[in-house]
Amino acid sequence: MRRYVIVWLGLLGIVALEVLVTLVRPPTGFLLAALLVLAFIEATIALLYFMHLRYERRVFGWSLVLAVLITVVLMDHFWFDAFRLLHQRLTTP
Amino acid sequence: MPEPSVAAATVHAGSEPSPFGVPSRKLAMWMFIVADAATFAAVLFAYGYVRVANPDWTRPFAVWPSIVNGVVMTVILLTSSLTMIAAVLAAQAERRAVAVRWLGATMALGAMFAALHLREWIAMIGEGWRLFRNPLGGTPLVGATFFSITGLHLLHVVSGVVVIGVIALGYRKSRFDAGHLETTGLYWHFVDLVWMFVFPLIYLLNVR
Repeated sequence: MRRYVIVWLGLLGIVALEVLVTLVRPPTGFLLAALLVLAFIEATIALLYFMHLRYERRVFGWSLVLAVLITVVLMDHFWFDAFRLLHQRLTTP
Repeated sequence: MPEPSVAAATVHAGSEPSPFGVPSRKLAMWMFIVADAATFAAVLFAYGYVRVANPDWTRPFAVWPSIVNGVVMTVILLTSSLTMIAAVLAAQAERRAVAVRWLGATMALGAMFAALHLREWIAMIGEGWRLFRNPLGGTPLVGATFFSITGLHLLHVVSGVVVIGVIALGYRKSRFDAGHLETTGLYWHFVDLVWMFVFPLIYLLNVR
């Protein structure tokens, strides 16, 4: 249980860091990048320890993570294409 | 005509060990989590695009009370993950009464999170925010993305509290075992994990 309490404290620390970065009021692009990096670190810790992925077979963990990553990459690729199509609309005469 | 292939397949599937080394119940929960993660990724991606594409995006959240409320909600949800782990560990040690108590604590924290979230919603609705109305005059997408994303997450939290309650009752009556608690715990931690993205992207990115 002690290990999980340490992980919990670490996650609370990351939340505190997120709030601190926000209160510094950096440019939106930098803030978005910083918050995403911190959120991914937080999520990885939760996956490994709270959801016990660290103690499962490595092939199992990678199968799950790769499935989500491929989905996210595909979303990122095709939604940009939606923006391109938006600008290709013909104007009404 | 007999179907030996079906029978053979059944025997084969029954005797073959899982390639991932996890019980089928747990594997099914992970499959659900992957699908649900894709759903949340889709709505957060959509939000990300409209947020970045609108330079005059309204920032509705003041540090007090919205961000402070959000931090308290985050701490509550993270703590509920810890109590869920305590319940699973107690169940694995065959300490039923202790496990049920920890499940009760997890439900209480989940209910507290939902209550704080609804209070936030009621305050925003009181200020004139609606699904497609922005009282501050900016794009109505602010309300649409806020209510839909946090609403979807809130639905998961409320469903989780109900499911934990059902599992706790069944576990107390010895109808469920520690494996059921572990699988339910996976879902609950996933709800926590999603909030790790919702809080910074929806709240912190939109501080006044």
